[in-house]
Amino acid sequence: MLKRAVLVERVPVPGATSFTRWLQSAMQQTWFYALGAVVLVIYVTPFLWMILGSLRREVEIFQYTYPLTVRTFVPVEWSLKNFLDVLGISPEGKSFGLNFGRALLNTTLVSAGVVASSLVFNTMGAYFFARLDFPRKGFLFLFVIATMLIPFEAVMVPLYIVVRSLHLQDSYWALILPWYASPFVIFALVQFFGEIPKELDEAAIIDGASHFGVLRHVIVPNAVPGLVTTALLEFQFIWNLFYWPLIAVGSKDLQTIQVAIAQQTTQTQVYWGRIFAGSVLASVPVIVLFLLMQRYYVKGVVMSGLKG
Amino acid sequence: MSAVAAQAIPQTRRWWTTRRRGHAIALLFVIPALVNFAVFRYLPILAAIRSSLWQYSLLGGYGQFIGLQAYIRMLQDPIFWKSLQVTVAYVVTKVPAQIALSMGLALFLARENRFAAVVRSAIFAPVVSSIVVVSVIWGLMYHVQLGLINSIITSVGLPRIAFISNPDLALAAIVIMMVWKEIGFSMIILMAGLKGIPDMFYEAARIDGASGWQQFLGITLPLLRRVLMFVVVTQTIFSFQVFVPVYTMTHGGPLDATKVIVYYIYQNGFLFQDMGYAAAMSTLTLAILLVVSAVQMRLLRSEVEY
Repeated sequence: MLKRAVLVERVPVPGATSFTRWLQSAMQQTWFYALGAVVLVIYVTPFLWMILGSLRREVEIFQYTYPLTVRTFVPVEWSLKNFLDVLGISPEGKSFGLNFGRALLNTTLVSAGVVASSLVFNTMGAYFFARLDFPRKGFLFLFVIATMLIPFEAVMVPLYIVVRSLHLQDSYWALILPWYASPFVIFALVQFFGEIPKELDEAAIIDGASHFGVLRHVIVPNAVPGLVTTALLEFQFIWNLFYWPLIAVGSKDLQTIQVAIAQQTTQTQVYWGRIFAGSVLASVPVIVLFLLMQRYYVKGVVMSGLKG
Repeated sequence: MSAVAAQAIPQTRRWWTTRRRGHAIALLFVIPALVNFAVFRYLPILAAIRSSLWQYSLLGGYGQFIGLQAYIRMLQDPIFWKSLQVTVAYVVTKVPAQIALSMGLALFLARENRFAAVVRSAIFAPVVSSIVVVSVIWGLMYHVQLGLINSIITSVGLPRIAFISNPDLALAAIVIMMVWKEIGFSMIILMAGLKGIPDMFYEAARIDGASGWQQFLGITLPLLRRVLMFVVVTQTIFSFQVFVPVYTMTHGGPLDATKVIVYYIYQNGFLFQDMGYAAAMSTLTLAILLVVSAVQMRLLRSEVEY
């Protein structure tokens, strides 16, 4: 786009003086920044409202909603009470039986378990499809790719029936096992592995490496960006999962953070401060991770999008 | 080793050759993933069909064969039809709005400029945030007395709006929120598509005196067709399965105005303890979505020739 803009200026516009051209580009610039600022405000405000709301007492949130002033957002008295409540540290939080710390720990364990097993099993699977020799490999690949067409939320109830018949319900296994391999990740990794020259494998095999040795010493070190990308997307997917943990797990000790937050809204009285604090705890880690590793995220989305 | 042995005695055909051994080892790499897909992706489809044809309850397991009774009941259930109607209304408003807006934003923000990069990150932030957090926070923002949106509306002198408790507005409120959340996803894909269009087409058009709008209609849209179709297909299928905002914000109400199909399935399976009926509806939804994606894939394939 930048290149295009430069080209516009190079094409001589008949009758245009340098002043009118300057005026035109200045107006375009103003438009761009004004419109961009509006979009930015629409996107930042809900997050700002949530984060600042979590840092004030609940009475204060309601007190300053009307009229709309700076105080609608900025706390008069900063307070960590909401966080102490949801984490079950304050006596009030304890009396409600709130334990978002536990929920965060569960979510972290499940996400780590899925990402780790996904890195192992999807990498192995993708290596098979990218490199190894097998009769009718195309048919097996179709078996994998076709699962991408299965609508996700629509099969949650049948998935629960299967998990129940395996007696896995209400355990960490129920939260981890269904996701330890992913057709999307395998598909993306096959593309990444395809970019690694085959000569490297052959050299390693001549040196006496096994398939596993090739995978470990040739493929994995050369596919680090691809592995990071898929691990990030997988982490975000599992961290944010809601419907499955809601139905698969009943006991409170295994609840994930998303389920814990959603439960706060089903009670007759809605505690806004706690919802804000819980939402901050649940979303800030993923957003920070995204901001730090944005390049990989975007690449992953484009990869799963354009080539899918 | 066995290859050497096979050569030494060419008459005896050995089943366990080096080649076969290689295949067996290769298979070990892919078996864990294949088992996962068989058990957790394909088996649920069979389970859905089975538990819709036999009597099924979570505690009692499978009982008598009831044939198509669950499906007949579904066709006679007005709430089922209503939920299908609500879901379709959601999809046909949300998907076009999202794609038009993300197309606009992609064109607007596809420039190498620090401010544009900041705006892009802000738009993408809700994509990585959880849908629970987004719908819970928007639920509070929509609140008729205490919500931020009504605070803004009244500050410019307009009357308050009951977004969530008004049956005419509740679905629209969810559509607006979900467009806000998911626009970043389609924007990124469209932007990657835009990058793939060579600059020389635009140069040529500009020399011919084409306006910006003419360039968009004549160059951008036709060349982006494949990417656009892809976004339409995936967003249609994703949106058809909307569940979380309904669960957290409206519980299907008011007056079933937001009772989408996946929420109705959840209600039957887990609140009314009617797993068999839920399974029958899951099977039907699965079938609808498979047909939709098959049709759209076919369209997509024919567009490639373009």
